[in-house]
Amino acid sequence: MAHGTLRTPAGEEKKHRIGRRGFIASALGGLSVAFTLPETGRVLGLKAAQGPDPGTLANAYVHIGTDGSITLMFGGAEMGQGIKTGLAQILAEELMVDWEQVTVQQSPVNPTVSYLTGGSTAVSGRYNNLRTAGAAARELLIQAAMTATGDRDRNHYSAAHAVVTYTGPNGGPQSWPYGSLAARAASEAVPADLRLTAPANFRIIGKPVPRVDTPSKVDGSAKFGIDTWFPDMVFAAIRHAPAIGGTLAGTPAKPEGAIAVVPCKASDNRGSVKAGSINAVAVVASNTWLAKKLADKLSVKWNPPPSPASVDSAQIAAQAASLLAGGAALVAEPAAPAGQTPAGYASVIEPQVANALGTPALDATYTLPFLSHATMEVMSCSVRLTWADSSKTLVTRCEIWAPTQAANWVAGTAAALINAGQATPISPSAIEVTTTYLGGGLGRKIEQDYISQAIQVALAVKLPVKLTWMREEDFSHDNYRPTAAVRVQATLGGGGVTAWWLRNVSQSILGQRGWLPPGAVDSQAVEGAVHLPYTMGIRLTEWVPLPAGIPVGFWRSVGSSINTFAVECAIDELAQHAGADPFAFRQNLLSDPRHIAVLQAADQMSLWRLSLPKGHAWGLAMSEWNGTIVCQVAEISQPAAGSLTVHRVACALDCGQAINPDQVAAQMEGGIVHGLNAALWGQVTFTAGKADQKNYSRYRMIRVKEMPQVTVQLVPSGNPPSGIGEAAVPPIAPALANAYSRLRGSRVRSLPFFPGATMGGL
Amino acid sequence: MITLNVNGKTVQANVTDKDTPLLWVLRDVLGLTGTKYGCGIEVCGACTVLIDGQREHSCVFDVGSAIGKQIVTIEGLSPAGTQNHPVQQAWIRNQVPQCGYCQPGMIMACVAGMKAGHHGSELLSEMKHLCVCGTYQRIRDTVANL
Repeated sequence: MAHGTLRTPAGEEKKHRIGRRGFIASALGGLSVAFTLPETGRVLGLKAAQGPDPGTLANAYVHIGTDGSITLMFGGAEMGQGIKTGLAQILAEELMVDWEQVTVQQSPVNPTVSYLTGGSTAVSGRYNNLRTAGAAARELLIQAAMTATGDRDRNHYSAAHAVVTYTGPNGGPQSWPYGSLAARAASEAVPADLRLTAPANFRIIGKPVPRVDTPSKVDGSAKFGIDTWFPDMVFAAIRHAPAIGGTLAGTPAKPEGAIAVVPCKASDNRGSVKAGSINAVAVVASNTWLAKKLADKLSVKWNPPPSPASVDSAQIAAQAASLLAGGAALVAEPAAPAGQTPAGYASVIEPQVANALGTPALDATYTLPFLSHATMEVMSCSVRLTWADSSKTLVTRCEIWAPTQAANWVAGTAAALINAGQATPISPSAIEVTTTYLGGGLGRKIEQDYISQAIQVALAVKLPVKLTWMREEDFSHDNYRPTAAVRVQATLGGGGVTAWWLRNVSQSILGQRGWLPPGAVDSQAVEGAVHLPYTMGIRLTEWVPLPAGIPVGFWRSVGSSINTFAVECAIDELAQHAGADPFAFRQNLLSDPRHIAVLQAADQMSLWRLSLPKGHAWGLAMSEWNGTIVCQVAEISQPAAGSLTVHRVACALDCGQAINPDQVAAQMEGGIVHGLNAALWGQVTFTAGKADQKNYSRYRMIRVKEMPQVTVQLVPSGNPPSGIGEAAVPPIAPALANAYSRLRGSRVRSLPFFPGATMGGL
Repeated sequence: MITLNVNGKTVQANVTDKDTPLLWVLRDVLGLTGTKYGCGIEVCGACTVLIDGQREHSCVFDVGSAIGKQIVTIEGLSPAGTQNHPVQQAWIRNQVPQCGYCQPGMIMACVAGMKAGHHGSELLSEMKHLCVCGTYQRIRDTVANL
């Protein structure tokens, strides 16, 4: 066990400090360095909204075994973003080993420690702490070599390829594999001057190394949550109330062939069970298909939702339109001066902005629909309980396998459900959560509904169980990307924008979870509409909460997927009004050199736009998401009414230090697809709480032959890494709309472009 | 109990209803979880397997009809100790997968096409599977050279 507090180069103290809790004893033997992989960006914002952060406890550690094995243990989620590879690269860089020598393993979950994976922070948010941990482990190994030679001059030692080499006078040149030093290193102290590798000398960070998880993902051996399987397990299918907000009116009888029928209580977003609110029944059988078939046939009576209008798309849209015109607004930006409530501040600043707007050049309303996450892997969770007694009344161990973005919340969900049924609480350490691979997360798998149901079923049937949602349940009971109506008014003058007013009406993701103080603006609702890079005369950004009853959640790029559409379409419309080139118009409004560099890179990447064939047009949009600046130029044509062909997309970005450029490109390619699906066809509508789209057949997505040619160019800035998982999504919809305007001379201000699209079979 | 031939081996599956889709027999009864459930209605392709060398969507292929036929799943494409199939090698070379969930189905469809003598653009035109991560560009680049 190593002791001590690290000191780091002057000026970087705060970033590179590992506290006393940074070191833990390990039963594994060898050297362990524990540390906290912090949460930044959106995740940090969420944590702040929920109160004290338990994440100061270590949630990851590096272990160097006496056999030379190097393992990074962490509790986050690999959902396609390449986290295991990216983290291995970062650690290997500072530890002075080859990146293939690092194994990344899922760590056991401590429910008091946070493992949230979201907000594109999986790799970027962990950069500094992971580098520091790698450097600390390296120096401890070198200290161990110093103890062996008796020579404490650091200049006589070097580390490379997991070997410490000594070139000093005591006994001549010597070298030690890390494994042979690991045991001794554990009793050394971390040196005061912990140096990190200068970016110019990076060997592994910034290199397009192949992903460590690829082989298992092409041979079928990668285990997703839905793949959890053991011979004695039973299988559950879920059937929710058909309408959102509906409840069970009476427990149905167990059909022949079923093992059990289990009414399931609804849970809130942190897994707490809502008293009395049973919104689903699970049917348990010997395989998932049988369970589903029996669930389909089950004769169930449901109570309708208490307020059908609040879960009906047409009614919600009408309410949004009404609030857009006259709802009480909260000021998101500029922030209210001290002593003024945000609501009261609106009445002060609105007249000033209205005066500056005069007769605005632009007065446009943009509307966006509810969206489903539609992750390829449906919701699934497996639970195996162990009891103290043969009558199975006291649960003493709970094993959970789940595709989850919030493993510690899963542990909390389990503790709450188990302890509600027994006088002696289960030990927190007896709840073992295994985070499997996620067949897509996209923000959906932070939720606890499917986890809670699986635990409730396991407690009821007292057998190991896997619960799987059918696709129809997934579409009908998501936590949807909120619908929104956004109005922008703006006035032109002097080649720029003299006044700008944006009002967003949308449901509050944080408010629905009880994470938003009364009167506060939901940061998720207005992101992408505030902190704009454009210099304008006077600007007001407002939010009006929409009190609808559809469950809403975090959908890849969250509020930016809404507001960037409105802002970047509005900017383009203003450029048209001004008769200006959209590149030049934006550049004139920008002052930040990073934004300008990205815009100019996109300009140079898309010179093809100057010689497009007849019937083709191009459109541009840019956005900043969590520190990453993206600018996209799309080329489209419309060979037939009711569809668009997207030929190519040029994508320039500044994401700071890229850990793995090939994976940055992959996230841009994939994010563009995600945004295209949503812009062209994505829409979930509700009729009195019932989703009208229940499978991919009514939720069209592009197929391989429709994939545009995407080119990606990184614009170096010297900044530390920023998130790449979501940044490609927001600009593509406005880029398409701006291209469409140039192609057809008319504007699409309401998404999707083609509502009601269907998708045929293979 | 029914008898199936899966990945070259004869196996017994405890299934009473022969209408059960092969997908759920593979996954829940035999524990072969590489074949994925995505939509259940033949739209996404995640459940693709080979039956007597033909590409089939196991989510709608009843297990009774598979009796006596050669079933190959992703697990049987390159059994442990053997070299990866050329399609798998190409997939790794081009770093195709992100989350990876749809990829076994994609690969099996591609293998079926190649077995039928299809290559390049012909093969590509058959690749209609859904990938929500959006790995299409790399799939296109990979399949175009097979």
